[in-house]
Amino acid sequence: MTFKLSRSAISASVLLALASGAAFAAKVPAGTALAAKQELIRNNGSETETLDPAVAESVGANNLTRDLFEGLTATDADGKVVPGVAESWKQVNPTTWVFKLRKNAKWSNGEPVVASDFVYGWQRFIDPKTASPYASTYGAFILNGIEASEGKKAPSELGVKAIDKYTLEVKTPYPVAFLPDVVSNLNLGPVNKAAIEKYGKEWTKPGKLVSNGAFVLKDWQVNSKVVIEKNPQYWDKGNVQLTKVTYLPVEDGFADVKLFQSGENDWVYQLPPATYEKYKQELPKDIRNAPMLGLRYYSFNVKDPVMKDKRVRQALSMVIDRDLLAQKITADGQVPAYGVIVRGTAGADVTAYEWAKWPMAKRVEEAKKLLAAAGVKPGSKIKFTYNTSEYHKKMAIFAASEWKSKLGLNTEMENMEFKVLLKKRHDGDFQIARNGWVADYNDATTFLTLVQCGSDQNDNGNCNPKAEELIKQGNQSTDPAKRKAALTQAAKMIMDDYPMLPLLQYTVPRLVKSYVGGYSTKNPMDRYRSKDIYIIKH
Amino acid sequence: MWSYVFRRVLMTIPTILVVITVCYLMLHLTPGGPFDTERKVSEAVMANLQAKYHLDLPLWQQYLYYLKGLLQGDLGASFRYADWSVNELVAKALPVSLTIGGVSLLISVVIGVLLGTVAALRQNSAIDYLVMLIGNLGSAFPSFVIGPVLILVFALWLSWLPSGGWQDFELRYMVLPMALLTFINVSTIGRVMRGSLIEVMSSNFIRTARAKGLPTRTIVLRHAFKPALMPVVSVLGPLAISSITAAVVTESVFSLPGIGKLIVNGASNRDYTLVLGLVVLITVLAVLLNLLVDLAYALLDPKIRY
Repeated sequence: MTFKLSRSAISASVLLALASGAAFAAKVPAGTALAAKQELIRNNGSETETLDPAVAESVGANNLTRDLFEGLTATDADGKVVPGVAESWKQVNPTTWVFKLRKNAKWSNGEPVVASDFVYGWQRFIDPKTASPYASTYGAFILNGIEASEGKKAPSELGVKAIDKYTLEVKTPYPVAFLPDVVSNLNLGPVNKAAIEKYGKEWTKPGKLVSNGAFVLKDWQVNSKVVIEKNPQYWDKGNVQLTKVTYLPVEDGFADVKLFQSGENDWVYQLPPATYEKYKQELPKDIRNAPMLGLRYYSFNVKDPVMKDKRVRQALSMVIDRDLLAQKITADGQVPAYGVIVRGTAGADVTAYEWAKWPMAKRVEEAKKLLAAAGVKPGSKIKFTYNTSEYHKKMAIFAASEWKSKLGLNTEMENMEFKVLLKKRHDGDFQIARNGWVADYNDATTFLTLVQCGSDQNDNGNCNPKAEELIKQGNQSTDPAKRKAALTQAAKMIMDDYPMLPLLQYTVPRLVKSYVGGYSTKNPMDRYRSKDIYIIKH
Repeated sequence: MWSYVFRRVLMTIPTILVVITVCYLMLHLTPGGPFDTERKVSEAVMANLQAKYHLDLPLWQQYLYYLKGLLQGDLGASFRYADWSVNELVAKALPVSLTIGGVSLLISVVIGVLLGTVAALRQNSAIDYLVMLIGNLGSAFPSFVIGPVLILVFALWLSWLPSGGWQDFELRYMVLPMALLTFINVSTIGRVMRGSLIEVMSSNFIRTARAKGLPTRTIVLRHAFKPALMPVVSVLGPLAISSITAAVVTESVFSLPGIGKLIVNGASNRDYTLVLGLVVLITVLAVLLNLLVDLAYALLDPKIRY
């Protein structure tokens, strides 16, 4: 098979290869005086479920594995893909990538990190015995990944191969343009085979964990703290400023803020609901808030007798005033959303409905016509399902009041425990349900999984075969521009079917001490390596 | 008495079995499983996860599998905290809860009994009203209100103590949670002791003692105190269990790594083995504490013999 790589794809590879000579760590601006004590206390939101990168699932677990381990690539404080253990990489044909590993990368026990460590790590990750929740998510981007995760092929048949000690070849089932971003996830990181075989299930415990990241595990007290310290064996240790990071597992948002105020925490995981404006006034130097790649939306069950009519779904979507919702109801800086793709997503443009620019009166008038045409009369009842939370309740009451005041529809609100909602949503046992998604990697396909035919993440039950074909064509293309156009068009086509009601793009309002340097508000994935952070003299 | 103790301990076995069985069924009947997450896993991955934790077996086989482990002292692997066994999680959380709950209960008993006694003996005096006020405040204000107030005053305003967290049994991290639990427990014990002593002091045998010319001190200490303690002892069992294993709000407000937090997280994560392990622990504690309460009755009341 012959193929032609696009100019932009080649430039990207060359650029990254050129950039690989430089260090990619804490960028301390010239003239910044650093504190003598480079220690950070950071709340992680909850107790980590694991320190094994292969099975890490939660944000908190990934924060920790990102500090303890390093993959082929990494993402810096601005969310840009930077070299990790791989110092350069190249897409040698549409479905083959070659990663060149740096020779000075070491495990915390001093042994070199080599290509076979990645092969072992990836095969272990995909092995059904490991039962990683992400096996099919990332396995989909590696040749034979899905089959291996299902046990239909052996893990050894996975498309990853050590060409030599420092060269790794990765084969993909189709041209995965964003593979360098995908492999920054530590589920696809290396693990130390000798340590795992020696300690078995205990290998992630302090004193036993062998890692290759900027930090090593010092202490782990369940539900109390995880302490990591600077790794003296790390290849880029000269650019790591922090000597110690303590991760706290505080779940209660108010307790988190109090620890911050009393000086026992430098980094609040996320502000409690309805407190953003208050702390913005009280602690203007510490407040940080930025949009991230996440979408709050409501799922329409398109198989429901009432919701199966597109006109009903469109009418319900049209009358929700997202601006009012963002400014007055949630009031935490979130951005109104009208499409499945949110701002900052690579691989597709944001799409929006034409009516989004109309005055509300016109939108309501049109929505009423649509409902009348669908035979839904004012006074009809619809059912909204959400999980018990003050935040979700507030949003749900707003939506219900919009539907009532503008369309005359009565909403029956049904709240339940989170796991019960998940079960109902996954089983299609709802009419309209609260939903949300945070990107796994920075590419449009992560959001498109929410609305694609037969996708595990598609709770709506919708399917647009033409858009599906377009996505397939886009993914087969090696031209980023063509791919982007195809995925954008597909996203628009699907959203014109109104399978979901997009509401807001997530933001992460939090408090971070003003003396914590290296924190960027341009990080779309909200992923911060402690390697990029430093403490300013204060 | 020892045969009574032996019989009671033996009785714990069927009690635990019934509790486990009921809890087991309830957990499995509750909608939503341990691996239902916002990001739905594929059918193949779900099958892998279920096989890893034996959830692919018929329910009765899973139950027997669990019981077999339990007989060997193995509470199983946590479904949520993959790197830890339930035994390890309980072993780490129990000392925290025992220390905070146990010490605060001991202090509460001393202070509560003392305040209740003084209030009963000085009925309708200023001290009585003060004890009643403390009692009512402790009952009326929930711990999620008192806790943050303590943090506000002692951690944020005065900066005397940390606002939360845990540091290897360092006293300064334990003071505020212990103070909160003590305050709540004192209010209960104080009110019960006061009411009980007032009632005992108006009994016929106390009137007889007074008629014999015994001084008040002797009447209270030798004759009234013991029977007045009976209701206090009765409430100590449930109070101890709630202080040690169900101090969920206290643990949440002060970010403590105790049992209460584990059980709430276990239930919301559908971590079946973790919840069952903790239920077994709480059942054993409840049975033992109730036994201690019953034995204490015999010490306090000569009419009770085992």
